[in-house]
Formats: sequence, C-alpha cells, structure tokens
Amino acid sequence: MKTKDRILHISLALFNDEGEADTTTIDIANEMDISPGNLYYHFKGKDQIITELFKQYEQAMSHTLTAPIEQPLSTDRSNVEDNWYYLYVVMEEMYQYRFLYHNLDNILQRYPDMKRGFKRLIQLKRAALYAICQTLLQQSVIDARDQQLLGLVDNMTLNLTFWFNYSELLHDRRPPHTTIHQGVLQLLTMVAPYLGDEQLSFYRDCESIYATMLEQTD
Amino acid sequence: MSDKKSKVTDKASEIAKNIWLAGVGAYGKAVEDAQGRLEKVGMEPPKLFRELVKAGSALEDDARGALETTAAARSSVEERINRVRENFHMQRPARIEDLNALQKKVDQLTRKVDKLSKALADQGIVKAAAGRKAAAAAKNKVATKKAPTRKKASSRAKSTTSKRKA
Repeated sequence: MKTKDRILHISLALFNDEGEADTTTIDIANEMDISPGNLYYHFKGKDQIITELFKQYEQAMSHTLTAPIEQPLSTDRSNVEDNWYYLYVVMEEMYQYRFLYHNLDNILQRYPDMKRGFKRLIQLKRAALYAICQTLLQQSVIDARDQQLLGLVDNMTLNLTFWFNYSELLHDRRPPHTTIHQGVLQLLTMVAPYLGDEQLSFYRDCESIYATMLEQTD
Repeated sequence: MSDKKSKVTDKASEIAKNIWLAGVGAYGKAVEDAQGRLEKVGMEPPKLFRELVKAGSALEDDARGALETTAAARSSVEERINRVRENFHMQRPARIEDLNALQKKVDQLTRKVDKLSKALADQGIVKAAAGRKAAAAAKNKVATKKAPTRKKASSRAKSTTSKRKA
C-alpha cells in the first residue's frame, strides 16, 4: 500500500475508534511509525485527510445508492428479500465511515463543502429508499400510497442516517454486527405494517436472529 | 456504432433524470463547483468563458466515466447482497430448504472426495485393481487421521500462547 493510502487507512481507523475530534496528525504519524514531516508531505493537515476520506465515502455511497434507483433490486416477488439484504449493504458501508456520523453537526459546520456533499447523499438515500418502496409497491409486496409512502421513506431515511448515534447513546458500544442487524430490523419494523403475510416470515427471521445475537453478547 | 452511442446517451439522460428527480443534481454539483471556483478567483469574462467550457468538458468526461463505473458499481452491490444473503441464511432458524441445500452441498462434496481419492489412487503405484483399492482406503485413513491431530496441535499452540499472554 502506498504511504498516502496507508495514512488514509490508519486515519479512518483512528477516527472511527477514538473519535475524529480526539485524533491529531501526530497521533496518526505515531500510529504509522512515520515522522510528522513525512505525513505533512502527503497531507497538509487533518482537514485534507478528512476531506479526502469524505470524498471516498461520497463516491462509494453514491454508487451503492444509485443501484436501486437505476434498476430494481428484485425482479419479482421471489427475490424480494434482496431489497432487505441491500439495507445491510448500505449500513455496512456507513459503518466503515461511522466517524462522520458520530460527530456530524460539528464536522459539517467546519467543512461547508462536505455539508453540500452530505446533503446530496441524504437526498440520494431518500431516493434509493423511495425507489425500493416503489418496486415493492409494483410487485404488490407492500400496500402504502401517496403521503403514507413518502412518510415511510422519510422515516426510513431518518433512521438509517442516525441509527449509529442512537444505538451508541442507548447501548454504548456493541459488536458491529448487532448494531447493524438491529438497524435493519428497525427499518423493517417500519415497513412491517404494510407487508403481507408472505414477507412477514422474513421479518420474523430477523427478529429471531436479533434475539440470538443478544443472547450471545450477554 | 451510432446506435450504441445513442443507447449510451439514452441511458445517460435517464440517469440524469433519475438523479435530478432524486434532488441530487450531479450536474448541478459541477456547475456549483465551477461557480464557486469562479467566485473565489474573480475572473474576467473571457477567462470565465474558457473556464466554463473547461468545466463543461470535464463534466462530459465525468458523465462518461460515470456510465462505465455504474456497471461496476451495480455488480459490486449485487455481490455484496449475495454475501449478506448467505450470511443471513446461516443465521436464521433452519428451514427445510436450508437443509435440502445443505444436503445438496454435502452430496457435491462427497462426489468431489470420491473423484479425488480415485485420482490419487490412479496416480499411485500401479498395482493390481484390488491392491489399488486397498491403498486408496489406507490413504483415506491417513488423511482422516492427520486432520484432527493437526487441529489439536494448533489448538494446543493457541492455548499456550494465550497462557503466555496471561
């Protein structure tokens, strides 16, 4: 790995685990066992590192979120579940860059460019969830229309965006797979009232997996 | 060729429409960015025009690049969905379909093992048919015996290292 990429990699890990605010470029250089001067050669400070990391995140997330807008994830009722699995994919990707969400207001205030990018991402997230719900509606998996559907999409977007903050406030740190799984379960709980019996079995599976996870952590 | 091109532009306009509908405005982003740069620099009109053309062509490149990457992005999303699905199926309460799928896998593995042991026997010293069979059986025995001892050894190694740590 090139030094530049290594710096980004280590910074991301430190930001995620120790918090962005508490991590300095000296910490990053120390962690990598390189001199601060060497780090400075690649990045002129933490700002540039954060901006670069956000660029990576924005690009990856845009690609992921465009997928269901471009083409439905499920072709018919037989693989409807792919839509639910997709929610895991999105959450896992968010989790990789969770430091952004843990300090969101603060970061967005400091970086106006990122604020613009982040707003676009939220809109895209909303559009992706809307596209999924539209597909489900067309495939008669859910029955919700107009305002109900829009409300559902906004609630899901809200949950998806702030799930990690909420989860950490409520449970402190949990194993990542539990946090992510519960997040998806939470999203499905919102869709559940609109689901037919057939799809409810998937929801029941999600519940029982979550129960097992909790038993294993206790 | 031209047909292909129009297909690409069709796709491009559809994506653009989608993005616009989504309130994202990737095109808007580039214009926004260009404007931001211009405001910062305070450029005179001719330069501004050149700069806009430059931004425009960069935008075109971006759009073309985006088309190429969407296919890759799509397959990456599908790949990840498949991984999550597999993982999910492992964790959820077993169903008849799961058990059937498992049985199928076991059958496949059994066939492979049979093939492998046959190949091993064929490679071995050519003996009488009966002797070959016995040799294959013996080899199988050795193989099955070897595996657990190796496992034990590694677990022992692990436990000693963890003891050392403690």
